[in-house]
Amino acid sequence: MKASDVMDPNPVTLKPTDTIECAADYIMDRRFRSLPVVDENNCYMGMFGVNCLLKQVIPKAVFLPHGLENVDFIHESFEDLYQRFAEVKDQPISICMNQEIQPIEPDAPLTKTLLQLYQTRASIPIVEPGSCKLLGMISYWDVGERILAAGRIKDA
Amino acid sequence: MHNLNQADVIFGMSPVWFAGGLFVLTYLLIVTERLNRAIISMMAAALMIMSGVLTQQAAVQGVDFNTIGLLTGMMIIVGVTRDSGVFQYLAIRSAKMVKADPWGILVMLMLVTALLSALLDNVTTVLLVAPITLLITDTLKINAYPYLFAEIFASNIGGTATLIGDPPNIMIGSATGLGYNDFLFNLAPIAIFVLLLTMIPIYLIWGRHLTADPQLINKVMLYREKDAIKDWVLLKKSLFVLTLVMLGFIIGHDYGIQPATVAMFGAALLLTLNCLPYSQEKQSQMVTKSLCDIEWITIFFFIGLFILVYGVETTGLLEMLANQVIELTDGDKTVTAMSILFVSATASAIVDNIPFVATMIPLIKNMAVSFGGAEELLPLWWSLALGSCLGGNGSLVGASANLIVAGFAERSGQPIHFLPFMLMAFPLMMMSVLVSSIYLYFRYF
Repeated sequence: MKASDVMDPNPVTLKPTDTIECAADYIMDRRFRSLPVVDENNCYMGMFGVNCLLKQVIPKAVFLPHGLENVDFIHESFEDLYQRFAEVKDQPISICMNQEIQPIEPDAPLTKTLLQLYQTRASIPIVEPGSCKLLGMISYWDVGERILAAGRIKDA
Repeated sequence: MHNLNQADVIFGMSPVWFAGGLFVLTYLLIVTERLNRAIISMMAAALMIMSGVLTQQAAVQGVDFNTIGLLTGMMIIVGVTRDSGVFQYLAIRSAKMVKADPWGILVMLMLVTALLSALLDNVTTVLLVAPITLLITDTLKINAYPYLFAEIFASNIGGTATLIGDPPNIMIGSATGLGYNDFLFNLAPIAIFVLLLTMIPIYLIWGRHLTADPQLINKVMLYREKDAIKDWVLLKKSLFVLTLVMLGFIIGHDYGIQPATVAMFGAALLLTLNCLPYSQEKQSQMVTKSLCDIEWITIFFFIGLFILVYGVETTGLLEMLANQVIELTDGDKTVTAMSILFVSATASAIVDNIPFVATMIPLIKNMAVSFGGAEELLPLWWSLALGSCLGGNGSLVGASANLIVAGFAERSGQPIHFLPFMLMAFPLMMMSVLVSSIYLYFRYF
């Protein structure tokens, strides 16, 4: 089995020029954890999801290398958090998308794919070798369904 | 101090030329920052031995283990104490003490930074204070630049005040036998004065324009500083050990106990108190974490540097240079002291002050005969300490703490650029050195 055998070939994608507010509404309405960001040529650029949103509403000083390790002393309301969100909501998602999630090749063996899924803790993009073209996405649900389905076939 | 086992010719050169050339090359490589400074100094030390300038035994003698022990011990103590959250508590408490008034916060953070820098190393201090500063300025929606600029100055000025505040002082203290109290009585008064004086231009340039929305000020007032303390038990243990260590520094000198012994004992005691309630496995994890908190790059940089400078010293090169300096100053101690002050301040603004001070120490020691004994060198040591510590304020690369703050500023989207910083900082630094020269003149000459 290869990565391409378990991927969703038609994933929902976002554009880098989408505003943070627009993308936030979209992923909140549909309960997505993260979505791939692609340009007009379907070239994979990064992932945008709930973590990106959380990062925008938590004080910046927390995310600096050697930044605040303890934030127990900060007590904020939802209004405070929204105020931080409001400052960036009209910005494009490209300013905060996660570019650290490494895409995987379609021919990658299943075990390697699962290990990366486990280590990344998020859906992983499948990208055409030698280019940045997004071929599909692999999520926990895609893999989980296939494993359970294999068990049901065996039992039957 | 010539080495009897030294080869007469090294790669076709006299040992003086070889050691001098290696020294200059090492310095240049450190300045370029192309390679990690610990690697450069270790390589230079190894070449000093392999070329025959020093034997391995002589090289080990050249390492000042008092400096190494003091630095290592304090790094362990600070690393463990930091986990208690006490430093964050101090920063937040000080901001609330002035009702979160923007100028008041700047003054208080300068004072806290200076105080912590006098007791801890400068890099650790700014690592603790800068994130809180960015949090507060972000909350108040005000420019962080004046705060970070002021903290850079405060950390270097505060570090000047004590034996353990800045590596140059540790090295000078170790090489001369001057104790904690000597530094405190001779350098703390001028450091406090310079700190207060520095606040005036900072107020005129930025302070008087700092304002914040009352609603945002209220947000800072809502911070609960007590919640910053993560571990009250650890806090008590840490404060107990820190108090003992400070007492050890103050009274230990009279009993012949070196600062390194005090710091190492403090580190071992704090680790014991911290680890005792836990299993063997957990203890191993805790000790490993504490030892990882030691800045090994700094430690190995020091070791290599000590060997390199000792190698140069054994060739007699530094003695020759010392004689030339005395000739240049006509053997006038006041002129020599002022020259050391201004040259070390300017040099420390441009290059790392650690190699500079490591070189200056044997050079000044060689002046003892000309000035009538080691006792007569005291003003020169204070000139070196003041120049090298305060000089760090002259540019962004003048001290490691400056670069750490600049890194924070850049990552938070409010970069501190080299030239604008220097245009403001260099004159301010020179003002502090000028004031120090007046202090030195009236107190020691």
